[in-house]
Amino acid sequence: MSEAENVRRAVIVEDNDDIRRLLVQIVAAQGFTVDEAATGSAGLELIRSRGADLVTLDLNLPDLDGVEVCRRLREFSDAYVLMITARADEIDRLSGLDVGADDYLSKPFSPRELAARITALFRRPRSASAADAPGAEEQRRAAEVQRSLLPQQDLRVDGYEIAGRCRPARSVGGDFFDWYATREGLGVTVADAMGKGMGAALLAATVRGVLRSTAGQSDLDLAFGVAGAMLHTDLEQSGSFVTVFHARLDAASGLLSYVDAGHGLALHVSGAGLTRLPSSGPPVGAVADSLWASERLALAPGDALLVVSDGVLDSFDTVDAAMSAVGTAVSASLSVEDACDRILELASGPEVTDDVTAVMLRRGDG
Amino acid sequence: MQFTVENRPDFAEVQGVGRLNMVSAPKLREVIAGVVAGGRTHVVVNLGGTDFMDSSGLGALIGCLKLARQAGGDLRIANVQPQVRMVLELTNMNRVLTPYDSAEAAFSPRGDSRD
Repeated sequence: MSEAENVRRAVIVEDNDDIRRLLVQIVAAQGFTVDEAATGSAGLELIRSRGADLVTLDLNLPDLDGVEVCRRLREFSDAYVLMITARADEIDRLSGLDVGADDYLSKPFSPRELAARITALFRRPRSASAADAPGAEEQRRAAEVQRSLLPQQDLRVDGYEIAGRCRPARSVGGDFFDWYATREGLGVTVADAMGKGMGAALLAATVRGVLRSTAGQSDLDLAFGVAGAMLHTDLEQSGSFVTVFHARLDAASGLLSYVDAGHGLALHVSGAGLTRLPSSGPPVGAVADSLWASERLALAPGDALLVVSDGVLDSFDTVDAAMSAVGTAVSASLSVEDACDRILELASGPEVTDDVTAVMLRRGDG
Repeated sequence: MQFTVENRPDFAEVQGVGRLNMVSAPKLREVIAGVVAGGRTHVVVNLGGTDFMDSSGLGALIGCLKLARQAGGDLRIANVQPQVRMVLELTNMNRVLTPYDSAEAAFSPRGDSRD
């Protein structure tokens, strides 16, 4: 990946198409690889997923305002931020707020002025930039690795559709999902490691590996017990815990056997609506010598299993309110992919500070 | 989040006001480790002023519970607010960290005052 080292990336966040095109042109001419977004949340997504050395940010966006976008991107990105506003008198107020932008520019601006500001920004070394630069590169790489650990979206099990989405609050996170083919059908996991960021991501990868290693054990209770005991030691050492939902599908009969270790947010979607599935015990790592008894659920044709992470709850006052919104999103969806997208969309407000995940497994109507 | 410790006759009461999250959780661990190291192994965490707790906050409570038990005591929680109660129920941890109505009730000899 050595070619990546010298490429400078920029993300342009601007809702006006003409101005955005102009910005893209000017910034690309400065030698940046440029991505563009018309909304604050799309911009944040790009910065998070591809990384950025420079962000130009319009103050007035249709969804989040530029100040909010800046505050949120500062949680995971060290990019130089150039805030662009339509009103010159806004700049004084903004500078006083200390929102984390590096420079401000008012519209209309000349291409030359913008280019000069960018050059000036990059001449100005970031405080502790020498130490931070490799860190930022490492973060970007870590995010790439974590994404590569997600399952292949094109796994086919006859008569079923499956989709999953995960959006970490920072560049990497403690949420993950996994699935893989088994002799009988499918193994599925959704888990949430305590905390956020790199520490949580390391634990998430460990849990994924340990659970996969027990796939060959045909007795689910035994398999999960072994995995849980193994993980308990590691998690206890790090003062952490993980909530895990793990299921095995027998494709021919539609029978799901599952263990819910303190996750609590798995749902059976049927003609009757959404039913939350009972949990089997505490999270892994929380209580020594825990045992989790597996539960069973029969998926009738047209039924689905939906598992979300608690990040979805951040936008709601109660679990019931969140589940009702999830139900509405699922009813309106056109496919399992669309359902997951809509659920992540529910959890995209500024109050959402946690990783968010949704996985849906649907049995065909046939 | 600021924590205060009050020494009651039968237990130490730790109270925090604000959000128990990734930022404040290490502080709670530190405060309670200090309390337990000082010989007060029966600890009540009064969560009356804690309107939000995330997984790191829950992790801190679990860690402190282990610490108190290892020292021969126990840790209990009281005055639990709705969002915190929701996290405890969702994770099934309400069976281990049972909410009590008040700090006094947590170590009351009549152990039936759990709510």
